[in-house]
Amino acid sequence: MLEVNIKNRVVKEFEKIVGRDFVSTNEADLYIYSQDMTQAEPSWPDVVVIPKSVEEVQAIIGLANREKIPVTPYVSGGNIGGLAVPLKGGILLDLKRMNRIIEVSDIDMYAVIEPGVTFGHMKAYLEKHHPNLMYTYAFSPPSTSVMANALLQGLDNLSTRYGAASHWVSGLEAVLPTGELVRIGSCAVSRSWQERVPFPDLAGLFLGWQGTTGVVTKMAVSLWPKPKHATQVSLVLMDLESAYESLRVISRTRIPDDIIGVSFAFERIVKTAGEHKKVASYPAQAPRPGDPEFIVSTEISGNTENELKAKIEVIEEVVHSTLQEGKFEGPQTWPSTTAFYPMQVLDVLSSGGGLTWIGTYGPMSNWLETVKQGCALQDKHGFTRSCYTRLMREGHFAALRWLLPFNKEDPEYVQKINELCSDQLEMVLNAGYIPYKTPVWAIRKIEELADPDWVNLHRRIKSMLDPNNIMNPGRWGAPQE
Amino acid sequence: MGLNDVNDWIYGCTRCGTCKNVLNLFVPSCPAGERFQLESYFPSGRQLIARGVFEGKLTLEDDDLRKRIDACTGCLSCQQQCAVYHHEHIFEIVRASRTEAVTQGFLNPAYMFMIDNLKKEDNIFGKPKAERGEWAKDLGVKDASQEKVDVLYHTGCTLSFDSELWEVPKSLIYLMRAANVDVGVMGKEETCCGGRAYEIGYLGEFIKYAEHCLETFNSLGVSKVVTSCSDGYSTFKTLYPKVNIKMRVEVLHVVEYLDQLIKEGRIQFTKNVPMKVTYHDPCHLGRHMSQGVYEPPRSILKSLPGLELVEMDRNRENAWCCGAGGGVKEANPDLALWTANERLKEAKATGATALVTSCPWCERNFKDAIKECGEEIEIYDIAEITRKAIQVDAN
Repeated sequence: MLEVNIKNRVVKEFEKIVGRDFVSTNEADLYIYSQDMTQAEPSWPDVVVIPKSVEEVQAIIGLANREKIPVTPYVSGGNIGGLAVPLKGGILLDLKRMNRIIEVSDIDMYAVIEPGVTFGHMKAYLEKHHPNLMYTYAFSPPSTSVMANALLQGLDNLSTRYGAASHWVSGLEAVLPTGELVRIGSCAVSRSWQERVPFPDLAGLFLGWQGTTGVVTKMAVSLWPKPKHATQVSLVLMDLESAYESLRVISRTRIPDDIIGVSFAFERIVKTAGEHKKVASYPAQAPRPGDPEFIVSTEISGNTENELKAKIEVIEEVVHSTLQEGKFEGPQTWPSTTAFYPMQVLDVLSSGGGLTWIGTYGPMSNWLETVKQGCALQDKHGFTRSCYTRLMREGHFAALRWLLPFNKEDPEYVQKINELCSDQLEMVLNAGYIPYKTPVWAIRKIEELADPDWVNLHRRIKSMLDPNNIMNPGRWGAPQE
Repeated sequence: MGLNDVNDWIYGCTRCGTCKNVLNLFVPSCPAGERFQLESYFPSGRQLIARGVFEGKLTLEDDDLRKRIDACTGCLSCQQQCAVYHHEHIFEIVRASRTEAVTQGFLNPAYMFMIDNLKKEDNIFGKPKAERGEWAKDLGVKDASQEKVDVLYHTGCTLSFDSELWEVPKSLIYLMRAANVDVGVMGKEETCCGGRAYEIGYLGEFIKYAEHCLETFNSLGVSKVVTSCSDGYSTFKTLYPKVNIKMRVEVLHVVEYLDQLIKEGRIQFTKNVPMKVTYHDPCHLGRHMSQGVYEPPRSILKSLPGLELVEMDRNRENAWCCGAGGGVKEANPDLALWTANERLKEAKATGATALVTSCPWCERNFKDAIKECGEEIEIYDIAEITRKAIQVDAN
């Protein structure tokens, strides 16, 4: 917490920079911004500041750097990692007013956006102004930030094709902790933001760093042609072995734009969320005899109906020729879900204010064993099985997590969540599955296990860019305590 | 009836942010949130505040904290956009926070003024009760408190005392006469419906007016009560059932009644109304109702000869609030005017030269916003514009 005299002085400075209306030290705001939907321990900022322009961000960061005050960037706080909870207090830098879509290039297929542009904004803008182009959407509500999702290397519904969301960042502009403004990618030398290559890839100084190396004020993200025809093909698998096999063989066709899988048990209990009912994954509902284990869904698109039909036939043939009879039902065709994105994701928001998970990226070669262990942990702790997976970059790796909506009002439920997450973290790290959007307590575990030189390299880079350690301190690259 | 009564709901919110925008349009839906941008001014923030107070981590003693709670217009757009299990109780949480503040003795001066006025003059404006029927004095309307009528026209506080808006109730009387409706008004015997008292947390006052109005309506022998005020309408239909007295009279909003009269052929339009208008859906006529009243006003407008109706993007259940509700007009007039001006800009963007609505609170606030911000667009109540299409008998 800041000393009162320092706080009063800097608050006045912030008011001069952004205007009185956009600075708050009111306890209501500090309380709200101190927490998110996860079980992360609340930690209060000292002041909330909401800038509108890059110049205002630079002025705020410059002041914070001079006064050595921590700064935590925030847009909607929807990450499942507690990453915008200000661990060391200081300034909560809410970037939601910086919400312009600055440029869209139809031919080069990118959009230059500010941090406050949400998935909802992006969709509405493209549908109105560039109906032939689309962005990709995350399993998150429409109010979440496109830029934050990319910076945190999240996963979206084109990740099966292209990988984590950071893969399609084609340029960015950032305010360094020392106040300078830099551009990275082709935009540094030309007016176009088409790609990060062919330069040394300095975007890596910001992507995945959780806001610890600067404030990204603009980002170019790739757009794609909107397909004329799309459909969803799904199948139900009776055991995890068949689920694994189906994911593998379907991904090897290189046909789907998206391949996801989810535990059948979880789908069963969250059906009623759509009827505005509260759902609970703890204590677990007893499985019914004969219930399937997993549902695999794929999104397929085509330029023509014939192309779509041909792709579906390939999927059907591969499934029938590979999977064991009696171990699956389908494939069945449904309307594409892409048109409904972004959506409120009621399934995981209807349990009493809480949502968490250990979300990981890891090798397909260890998927089956990891899923089995993860589900066994859920059984042991008394939770309904809620595995969720997405194949990434055509099967080069997988995203894997166990969805844990929970009731924040129930201390026993919260305690059980913490215990399960702790066990899950240990298990996934042993299995080679690495948490993305890594919560701070997982970072410390990883640092214990990781190559010390790798850890030290993080610290050196962080220290070089942020000598006063003001940017979201305590996370990646934090000095050894 | 403070926060203890909503503790089933105050842990529902994950702060997913869906309440901040209209689903599928992805344009702002919360006036206070959009104006101030701090999380505490959004619906999700207000729910967290309620949780913080409930857990003892925040105190209602903080005036600035209560400003966040009092900035809610009660438009229910958040309830429309959110689909989580608690979504129908979001404003109830805000109302309960306000009641909790009243119970703990932390009073908003603007609210106190409204309640004092209610106690003295049976209206929140503090205008003399004896002048309530002034708008009708030269119209020769029957006094429903003295003689039997078929339809009671409940004028409402705003239209009774705001002389700039008197053409609204007068227009309605002319239209009802054109349709040979046996209509009367209560004049100075009419009282406030109590709805605003409920919204700002004064439940005792609300119950007092609810009981009084229900007993009055039930005793008059009228077949229906028709009102121009959307706040009053939703109070009668959705809040009065909370009080244990059954309303034995049909309640209609003016738009429902006029639509009925037109469809029955009881009103003939003989004059052209060559205007391009857009329609603003009042929150209390739309989202506050389990079945929002969206089509009757449009049906009326489309039946007026020569009139062209264009829609704003945020229409029907997604309508942007006018900014006047929930005590905001009184407690935060700048926010109320800002909100109204946002709506006026949206109306102008349709190319319409006039905005039509069916709530005097909306009309008053839009007119005030025009004076303040200078937008060039006319404001009409549905009764006023409908009257333009009939030949009015001077008698």
